[in-house]
Amino acid sequence: MSLINENKDFGVIAKLIPNNASVIDVGCNDGSLLEYLREYKNIDGRGMEIDQKKVQLCLAKGISVIEGDADTDLYDYPDKLFDYSILTYTLQATKSPKTVMQQLVRISKKAIISFPNFGHWKIGASLLLNRKMPVSEKLSYSWHETPNLHFCTINDFIDLCEELEIKIEKKGDLSNKKLSNFSGKNFLDSYFNEVGLFLVSKD
Amino acid sequence: MSENKIVTLAEDEPLNLDGGGSLSKFKTAYTTYGKLNDKKNNSILVCHALTGDQYVASDHPITKKNGWWSMVVGPDKPIDTNKFFVICPNVIGGCMGSTGPKEINPENGKEFATDFPVITIADMVRAQKLLIDYLGIEKIFCVTGGSMGGMLVLEWLSKFPEMVHSAVPIATATNHSAQNIALNELARQSIMADPNWQSGNYYHSDKKPMKGLSVARMAAHISYLSKEALQSKFGRNLQDKNSLDYSFDADFQIESYLRHQGFTFVDRFDANSYLYITRAMDYFDVSSANNGSLIEAFKKTQSKILCVSFTSDWLYPTSENKKIVKVFNSLGLNVSFIEIETENGHDSFLLDEPKFFEALKGFINSTFENL
Repeated sequence: MSLINENKDFGVIAKLIPNNASVIDVGCNDGSLLEYLREYKNIDGRGMEIDQKKVQLCLAKGISVIEGDADTDLYDYPDKLFDYSILTYTLQATKSPKTVMQQLVRISKKAIISFPNFGHWKIGASLLLNRKMPVSEKLSYSWHETPNLHFCTINDFIDLCEELEIKIEKKGDLSNKKLSNFSGKNFLDSYFNEVGLFLVSKD
Repeated sequence: MSENKIVTLAEDEPLNLDGGGSLSKFKTAYTTYGKLNDKKNNSILVCHALTGDQYVASDHPITKKNGWWSMVVGPDKPIDTNKFFVICPNVIGGCMGSTGPKEINPENGKEFATDFPVITIADMVRAQKLLIDYLGIEKIFCVTGGSMGGMLVLEWLSKFPEMVHSAVPIATATNHSAQNIALNELARQSIMADPNWQSGNYYHSDKKPMKGLSVARMAAHISYLSKEALQSKFGRNLQDKNSLDYSFDADFQIESYLRHQGFTFVDRFDANSYLYITRAMDYFDVSSANNGSLIEAFKKTQSKILCVSFTSDWLYPTSENKKIVKVFNSLGLNVSFIEIETENGHDSFLLDEPKFFEALKGFINSTFENL
């Protein structure tokens, strides 16, 4: 899914990552985010990608990448191997978002997770008015061909973190590229953020 | 294309072997392609498999066929010899000019035959290291190879980590499974069961263990192919006939094919070498010098690595290659992994597999650009 807006999303994610950090991007696509972080943050990056065509693109860029599946292959990494793990627009496509999140916070000190917010008002309105599964820029698939298995809203995500005892440290707003400390559920975020972006961790 | 070269190594100091003995003044036959640059940072060491040799990209002197990796190594090929200096040595124990059972033992002027010491993959790597030293290379840009070649790559990463900038182990394993050993034992027993083997002393006899070696090759060849490939290529098709003969002639095409593989192999390979090299593969366990710990074995490795496996390879399956990846991941190494979908079985690394070539080329070129 090439839903990532390089200018917007990459910049916000980069703000969360200190220089020289070790980073794994799970579902790293063609490796552009890792390349961006390598250039601007001098990170030591690794990728995991299920689509072999994209694995090839990563290899050609000199990015270390494992052809693998977030649902099954994160178990191979030892605890807290990375400073940061990143999961952008992939959580909703995993078979078990719960175990993937548990693995992310296990293998890295902090995890950055972003996903399309199914609670966005446009989606609610589309469902309410058209009685059809919503299709938008961030949710670009028809219901019958979507790889997305587990849509969630920002509030669902916050609830799951609570259940898994994962601490949400920061939240991001991609529309204005702002990061702020997390202080619980927020009406505005859940209605107006098309994308949920969170920095989480678990000791 | 490259001429075969032969160099005598370990002239001052013998090469001590894992099995206790030593080799001094041993020969290594090798080929090179391309030019070593001024910085001496563009060398690629290609390690051949069990029945491979140094003729990686030049015509084979006996079979007259193209080099075994001529699709991979050459100008503008995935390993581009316009850019890289490629070195391919015949392993010790081999039979294409490097010191092995069919070469003359300088101590008594006779062929070594079974007096040749049992060698290991690590011994082969130590011998290769002497060649690299001789060529004046301090750090190899990339070490690569498939099957046994991949074992040599792993041993390089473990034994001489500071000398390897990057590595591509292909369709390999950190040690042989019971099934792998069983298949090799079948091959060895078939050679030794041939009365013409004569306890290995057949070099001056007009009877050579051709049948034994041929059967060994037939058995091995089955393990290099997948069931699907055999089925789609041969099925139950009959060989130049319309009905069964009710005899033990080659009725089926697969029988005829295997017999051909066996017969042609004996022209270019020495039966004793087959015994020694399969033994080395069975003994191989990259963790053995480190109390059985793979983590310890690769603790000092800093190389950038690409591991490759093939979906239909049941001899060195993806699961074995993923074990290697897991160890490298545990150490936080710069490791990549790709599994190529193909029905060509273990032999895939020697065949025209465009996706494999693309991955290899992408990895090698980008790694070189980031040197």
